[in-house]
Amino acid sequence: MQKVKRSILLETRHVTAAYGKLEVLSDVSVLFRKGRLTAVAGPNGCGKSSLLKAIMGFLPVSGGEIVLEGEQVARIGRKKLARRIAYLPQDCFCPDYMTLGELIELAGYSRYGLAGGPSERDRALYREVLETVGLSDRAGFPVNKLSGGQRQRAWIAMVLAQDTDIVLLDEPVNHLDMKYQFAVLELIRELTEIHGKTVVAVLHDLNLTTTFADDVVLMRSGRCVTSGPVAETVTTGNIERVFDLRTQIFPRDGRLVCFPERAGHAAVS
Amino acid sequence: MERRTVFLLAVLPLLLVALALHLLVGYRPADIPGLIGAVLRFEAQSYDEAVLLFQRLPRSLIAIYVGSIAAASGFVLQSLVRNPLASPATMGVNAGAALFLVAGALVLDIGPALQGVAALAGALAGFVCCIAIARFAGRRNDPRGLSLILSGALVSMLFTGITNAFLLSDPARRSEFLSWVVGTINHAYIDRLAMFWWVGAGAIVAFLLLARPLTLILFGAEKAASTGVNVPLVSRIAILAAVLGSGSVVAVCGPIGFVGLIVPHMVRPFVGNNLVFALPASLATGAVVCLLADVFAREALYPYVLSTGLVTDLIGGVVFVIIVKRFYLSPANREAA
Repeated sequence: MQKVKRSILLETRHVTAAYGKLEVLSDVSVLFRKGRLTAVAGPNGCGKSSLLKAIMGFLPVSGGEIVLEGEQVARIGRKKLARRIAYLPQDCFCPDYMTLGELIELAGYSRYGLAGGPSERDRALYREVLETVGLSDRAGFPVNKLSGGQRQRAWIAMVLAQDTDIVLLDEPVNHLDMKYQFAVLELIRELTEIHGKTVVAVLHDLNLTTTFADDVVLMRSGRCVTSGPVAETVTTGNIERVFDLRTQIFPRDGRLVCFPERAGHAAVS
Repeated sequence: MERRTVFLLAVLPLLLVALALHLLVGYRPADIPGLIGAVLRFEAQSYDEAVLLFQRLPRSLIAIYVGSIAAASGFVLQSLVRNPLASPATMGVNAGAALFLVAGALVLDIGPALQGVAALAGALAGFVCCIAIARFAGRRNDPRGLSLILSGALVSMLFTGITNAFLLSDPARRSEFLSWVVGTINHAYIDRLAMFWWVGAGAIVAFLLLARPLTLILFGAEKAASTGVNVPLVSRIAILAAVLGSGSVVAVCGPIGFVGLIVPHMVRPFVGNNLVFALPASLATGAVVCLLADVFAREALYPYVLSTGLVTDLIGGVVFVIIVKRFYLSPANREAA
């Protein structure tokens, strides 16, 4: 896969956005650093998904700007943007009878000519992608007949086949059991470590965030409460500000583990 | 190999067989080599050969045109509006084209070329009415698109009723349109095909060029846009092509119903939803269905010739019921589109 350019950086500057009258993002300024896995976390409805949608241009931005390597994202055309940012929506729906191979072949649409199809280079990439997600033997298999974990890896394969430097994933491990959550996040981790991609993933689970992410963006009510490297950002104070939840946070095996406390139960410290 | 490959490999020979049947059924087997020679030379030396060249061959061409355009348009409409019951016949397109054509011919007294233009305009008008009524009825709160099909039925009934009123009001000239209005493949309509084939050809070119982005739109507008598809532009071009293509079919031989509805359902289980493969398969399968329906219409009650539209309506009505039962009345398939 293509080597990542040194200067890749995605940034939102004072972004405000609304669905009609309902403001879902207010004054959000976040930096996404190259080659890092950034988790976006926060309570339900805090604007995590809206942030990704605003970056993709699916949400009209009324204030501020979103900048990709010094270029305003809003000014980049759909096809050009598709070659630089790939996006996996929260609930992906695959039409019946569609095979994994077709899914991946369609992902490269932005590289094909009007009447053309995948080049030799594209086909080599697709084989590599299937290997990366561990589904090389499933290319001819209908996506809707894959198991839950495999299907999620299929969606990630589709994102990878787009061959972009930046990957946005909206809740990529929802609806998966713990084993598959870990397997899929290991894979996502690999994308940054081995393939040098910049990944932004909306994650619900704080412990998954501390286990896998490099950086974290904590959001609440459409605002970015704080952001930065996981070790400095995930603190009891910040978690309480974001989730209204008292937690205990321990370092364990080189990562942080969060224990929420039950309301009305005193901390055992 | 897999089902799709088998289907795609089989459908072209099947089309040739259907064409051969369409051209040659009813002739004595001994005459067939001579008849094939006549077609190849394009020269008629006997009555039989003349019938073949100047009646049956034009009918075949019309049947192929009608079947392929209707089927491909139906597939594209079903994909874009995410509704298995969508088709030119169920969305007011055919009825609109028929109304405008008949009204133009009987009221404004326009000739065949302008009648065709009226049919294209009517196809658009029918589609717009259908969408407008569905919006009015609140399609946004109706993920399964039931209101779209109901408003399509409403528009079709209304437009067909007005068409019939025009026909009834003009006893002197209505016989000219009586069989046309139910959809009839008639060799006399070859002139109309010669006038309007390019509309359908344009629609097919548009469909094939847009096959990939249209397939991506099946994944949802945002997923499609994120892979680089200009969703509004692609949808509009494809719908325009489907509606005008269907309008041109009506202009040639009247509203041949249900081909656009049933053929996508015949193709999908074998070829899938990827339009890169499903469109060529639909084009060929639609032609086969129409050719066979026309053979049936011609030979079933020989020497009486049925209207092809009646045959497709009969087959289509039954299939329509099956689809409704599978899609709307069985819990397991409710969410599948």
